[in-house]
Amino acid sequence: MSLGPDQMFFPAGIAAAVDDQDVDDGFTRGYRPAPPEDIYFPAAPMLDMAFQLLAFFVLTFRVPTAETHLDLLLPTTPAALPAATRGLARPTSSPLVDTDLDNDLIVRAEADDLGDLKSLRLGEAEVPGLDALGARLKRYIELLGNRPLRVRLIADDRLLYEPAARIIAVCSASGVATIRLAHPGASP
Amino acid sequence: MPRSSSSHSKVLTPNLTPMLDMVLQLITFFMMLVHFGSRLEGANRGVRLPVAPAALPGASLTVDQLSAGLDARGNLLVGDETLDPQAAAAWWKQQADARRAGLELLEEPDAPTPAFAESADLPTVVVLRADRAATYGVVRQTLAEAQSRGFAHFSLVVLKREEP
Repeated sequence: MSLGPDQMFFPAGIAAAVDDQDVDDGFTRGYRPAPPEDIYFPAAPMLDMAFQLLAFFVLTFRVPTAETHLDLLLPTTPAALPAATRGLARPTSSPLVDTDLDNDLIVRAEADDLGDLKSLRLGEAEVPGLDALGARLKRYIELLGNRPLRVRLIADDRLLYEPAARIIAVCSASGVATIRLAHPGASP
Repeated sequence: MPRSSSSHSKVLTPNLTPMLDMVLQLITFFMMLVHFGSRLEGANRGVRLPVAPAALPGASLTVDQLSAGLDARGNLLVGDETLDPQAAAAWWKQQADARRAGLELLEEPDAPTPAFAESADLPTVVVLRADRAATYGVVRQTLAEAQSRGFAHFSLVVLKREEP
């Protein structure tokens, strides 16, 4: 069985076109391809995958929240332990012990009867508000250069946690390296 | 002139490109949000977090976390349990002992000096979600209790803005 030239070189569809155009006239003319048709791009498989990815992300999606966290490093040094009077503090000879507390900047927060913030002091100077506290802390940090600034927060125990957290947040955002929480009776 | 019947037998090919565009845009949207603003571990509906607009977005926490909550009355919330101060002290001790035991297992048996001493700080990050109505004293005492057991790294969870 022998094959014709159209069957040997062209797929079936093209061969049919060749049949229509050229075979009838006995190959008196050369093969002339048909004008290009629209290329069909199969989007369905990609759409399937895209829907699967979309389903994955929708199912694992968690509503964005405004939660963030304030990091505190409170090493178990005797001087940094607010509850040292309860006898639970265990002095250690670890080289991590940091006894250089004299250089800490003291932030004092006083509460009114309702637990709201009544006054704020940086060292001995009264600070009008949290924005001013942040600005002064930034100036301290600029003055210190590469040395880390450490802050000790001495606040009334009846102060509500929210204003206290705002003070800590301002200190942290200003670039304070370490924030210690001291009990109200702590001496500077 | 009537249409030929062959015109009705053609296969309809809907244009899927706009749908594909939309789906890919949705995928991009979800991919961008998948890591941002995720709720931290240990969320509790009973705790209303304080709002601290100055707080910066925190770095991602380490693998070893210990989550605890603190309600407005000063009770420690662990999972679904509410612990009074005495039970809370026992719980902090139990958690610290468990972690020390785990760290001792990781030590080299023939190491000249122990990599982890009894008095050393634990590397665990304590994630504390305290209620905004709790007092600073209660929060400080809770941190001190954990600190006395060897925990040194703390993360206080706050809100950058009020949530509805």
